[in-house]
Amino acid sequence: MKRITIDPVTRIEGHAKVTIQLDDNGRVAGTEFHVTQVRGFEKFTEGRPFYEMPGITARICGICPVSHLLASSKACDAIMAVRIPPTARKLRELVHAAQIVQSHALSFFYLSAPDLLLGMDCDPATRNIVGLIAAHPEMARDGIELRKFGLQIVEAVAGERVHGFGIVPGGISAPLQPQVRDHLLVDLPSAKAIARRTLDFFKRALDGYAEEIEFFGSAPMMSAGLVDRLGNLQLYDGMLRFRAADGTITADGIEGDDYATWIGETTLRDSYMKAPYFKPRGFPGGVYRVGPLARLNAIDQCGTPVADAELVEFRERFGAPAHSAFLYHCARLIEIVYALERIEVLLDDEQVLDKHVRAAAGVNAHEGIGMIEAPRGILIHHYNVDDDGAIVKANLIVATGHNNLAIGRAIQQVSERFVDGAKLTEGMINRVSAVVRAYDPCLSCSTHAAGEIAMRVTLVGADGEVLDDVSRF
Amino acid sequence: MAKSWMMSRASEDSAAIVVVGYGNTLRGDDGIGWRAVESLARRNLPASTVVLTAHQLDPELARTIAQAKLALFVDAERGGKPGSVRCQAVSSDAPDSDFSHQLTPAALLALAQNLYGTSPVAFEITMCGEGFDVGEGLSPICEAALPRLVEAIAQKIGI
Repeated sequence: MKRITIDPVTRIEGHAKVTIQLDDNGRVAGTEFHVTQVRGFEKFTEGRPFYEMPGITARICGICPVSHLLASSKACDAIMAVRIPPTARKLRELVHAAQIVQSHALSFFYLSAPDLLLGMDCDPATRNIVGLIAAHPEMARDGIELRKFGLQIVEAVAGERVHGFGIVPGGISAPLQPQVRDHLLVDLPSAKAIARRTLDFFKRALDGYAEEIEFFGSAPMMSAGLVDRLGNLQLYDGMLRFRAADGTITADGIEGDDYATWIGETTLRDSYMKAPYFKPRGFPGGVYRVGPLARLNAIDQCGTPVADAELVEFRERFGAPAHSAFLYHCARLIEIVYALERIEVLLDDEQVLDKHVRAAAGVNAHEGIGMIEAPRGILIHHYNVDDDGAIVKANLIVATGHNNLAIGRAIQQVSERFVDGAKLTEGMINRVSAVVRAYDPCLSCSTHAAGEIAMRVTLVGADGEVLDDVSRF
Repeated sequence: MAKSWMMSRASEDSAAIVVVGYGNTLRGDDGIGWRAVESLARRNLPASTVVLTAHQLDPELARTIAQAKLALFVDAERGGKPGSVRCQAVSSDAPDSDFSHQLTPAALLALAQNLYGTSPVAFEITMCGEGFDVGEGLSPICEAALPRLVEAIAQKIGI
């Protein structure tokens, strides 16, 4: 038996490693995906006042703190037993849509575009954003512009581009000023144009990735996402739907309060990331996906005209449901289109400027659950509090956790297809890493510079002898 | 920071002088950059100056600084005498770095040059911190030395 370790996997959020077990003939016998850091937020928040939870849990992540602010604030709304003002709900959806734009732009342009535009087998010394700038400066500029647009809206509503303070229990801390709204609308056409040409470019480029589409985590499995009563895509609100691999709806209309009836959690050997599963099918049979591709599979339609047209084309080309994890990239771009359409609708709505944006109350319930669609998938915050509002128990199910089992299966499939135990190559290592990146996992959820971390792959024989070793920094 | 989002937004992409204070305010003296530019922002600054705070330098800043004449990066530093202030020029000729969403000042300048064809004169103005443990607030020695850091920034701006 031989073992290959990819540690760490690069250009993802957080720290992980992959172990590939080879048999004596050099064929892949098994794979494991390890998340090697522990965060502990569920434990150390015990005893904190519930209204501190949005600010504390936002620190889980430097890329999608808005997701934690929103899910946490929704859980706090439930503890206060308030219905937030309509304008606050719209502002929350606005800032969430903007976060989808900036987070998806980061994933596509900064983290995955080097693979997609420069090639999986490209020299790792240039397969990064610097190489991307040299080869495709217009694409790099577009990525910067799109991310900047999203971050400006986040700053306008949440108060800061990262770890804002404007999303609070009961609503939003301050109304949106008319002149700020007007400035945001000025930049919207440019953002839409970037999304349009990027999606058009990538749809053409997909013709060159037939092998990746076929073998990058294409095993059929369930998809989970939030939908409204009409089956439209919902990112801020909505009910949980599970759609089976054959396209039939397995479970539908599940409110956030009832998530524990349908989602179980277990732990895996050698990983700090929990592994949620669909309870009726048990573990590990209840594996499912979340995130952009799963959302497009789960919904009936997006609910906005341009994104809906793209969804029709996507389904005609790749099937419904579509199963290749490689298509997460395409789904991400369609969701950027959708989010920009929602941003336009919300900014054009005069009610978004209303001054009533926050409901006030104390502890009126001992339990609160908040559920949203984060950029990477379903995010659930579940709190229990005592009479004084102190946290007694906190349970967080993060988007990437839902995908834990699916990522593991995708690694297995890619390894079986591309890994040759007799010889390690950059393209081989990168394809295993790239299938993890396709899910855009947010493991730490903290930011880091990809280039500062080394990737090391070691091939060890059954007797402990190092047969091959590839490092890069 | 009690900043005006509108003022920042309206001038960000056309400012002649860009001052960025960055670091982690939850790690003691790592918040020196934030504290310094917050203090600077209370002064009577030239109209074409924009003052920004950030946890780290990210690629989105490239467009902002590309159109400026002067960029000042204000940060904490490790290893020297706590409270000492250092100012050094930053060059866009620095070697390319392999980054995703966190940059050095030199890499940011290089990014601006490569993407937009221009980059400003730039300086990195730093103060050595004493403690970087978890917690808000500066160490007493850095708190006392903060005016010197603010004055060093003001001198570069010319006020």
